[in-house]
Amino acid sequence: MIGTRIGSVAVVAAVVLLVMPEQSPLTARAGQAAKPAAKPAPPAPRLPNGRPDLSGVLNGGGGIAARNLKKGDEIVLLPEAKKLMDSRQSKDDPEANCLPTGVPRMNPYPWRIVQQPTHTESTHIFILFEGNVHSYRQIFMDGRPHPDDLVPTWYGHSTGKWEGDTLVVDTVGYNDRFWFDFDGHPHTTQLHTIERFTRTDLNTLSWEITIIDPGAYAKPFTVQTRAEYKPGWELMEYICNENNTNVPHIQGPAVPPGGR
Amino acid sequence: MKHKLGVLIGIAGILWPMAQLHAHHSFAAEYDEKQVIELKGTVTRFDWLNPHVRFYVDVKDAKGNVTNWDLELMSPNTLTRAGWDRHALKVGDTVTVTAYRAKDGTNRANARGNVILADGRKIFAGDAVGGDNR
Repeated sequence: MIGTRIGSVAVVAAVVLLVMPEQSPLTARAGQAAKPAAKPAPPAPRLPNGRPDLSGVLNGGGGIAARNLKKGDEIVLLPEAKKLMDSRQSKDDPEANCLPTGVPRMNPYPWRIVQQPTHTESTHIFILFEGNVHSYRQIFMDGRPHPDDLVPTWYGHSTGKWEGDTLVVDTVGYNDRFWFDFDGHPHTTQLHTIERFTRTDLNTLSWEITIIDPGAYAKPFTVQTRAEYKPGWELMEYICNENNTNVPHIQGPAVPPGGR
Repeated sequence: MKHKLGVLIGIAGILWPMAQLHAHHSFAAEYDEKQVIELKGTVTRFDWLNPHVRFYVDVKDAKGNVTNWDLELMSPNTLTRAGWDRHALKVGDTVTVTAYRAKDGTNRANARGNVILADGRKIFAGDAVGGDNR
């Protein structure tokens, strides 16, 4: 019986290791032991019109973690933005209060890219989020410009175009209410993001984000992140504020004393 | 049965590192990583709700005084993907839980590792420590 149990664990472990993201410590260990290297993943699929098919359920990606900064880039806050960040308290984090995460922060739940229609050029691409409030991003693919006078919103106004096999999304018109991370990195309504989405193989979406905000940062910076396609997953309902009892118990500054 | 249990434990162990990212609030702002407590008691309530599944446990001390603890797990969706369902715990179950206590001193804690039932079944609780890097 114990043998069966160990056998089951081993089988599950082997299966899971095959589908774990590359950066996982588990796979890193397995990678060192595996000889020869695993076969490369199949290439990214394409739509009938030849464009890369980005659609599917994804997990991960986004954020402004220092470990993902493009080589040579740095996050340099302007004095006013630094002051604002230093004053922020964890209890006020919009995400903890079940508000949207904006761009490029991600909640810890899967998301889905929907590309429509598939028989001609897409007029829109949608990104559906399981968390934090079942929100979505709408990317206009029909060549329209950004309007001159935008009401500031959580996800802004996004236009997209293809550069080869990369979807380039340009977004302005953000509000200044969301935080970039738990530490409370701020931004202003001058925020402008340029995102480059490339499905590098069947399983992987490269998502590079450039943050341009002359109201909060001394210079633009770029983060390079990856999300993993999850073909067996579906989005599930997640209504964050149905029983959010955490906020009254959250305490202290967003950046803990001594840093995170 | 044991075969299935083995698989579940295997999945739990492997999912543990992935699960560390699953909280909608800063772990460190609510729970104390250094204050690990062990509680044994009876489940009085099991709320399969967002953003966190919670269960409540009556714990009796040496003098017979009963304290009700509020224990936090990950979200229903994360637990579902890790093999749980809303029938995993029942009111009246005797459980042993290891957890990180709330910093504000209330009887609230974030469950870690496995929730252990009286019959020895272990149910994966996850571990939210280290999930603040986003």
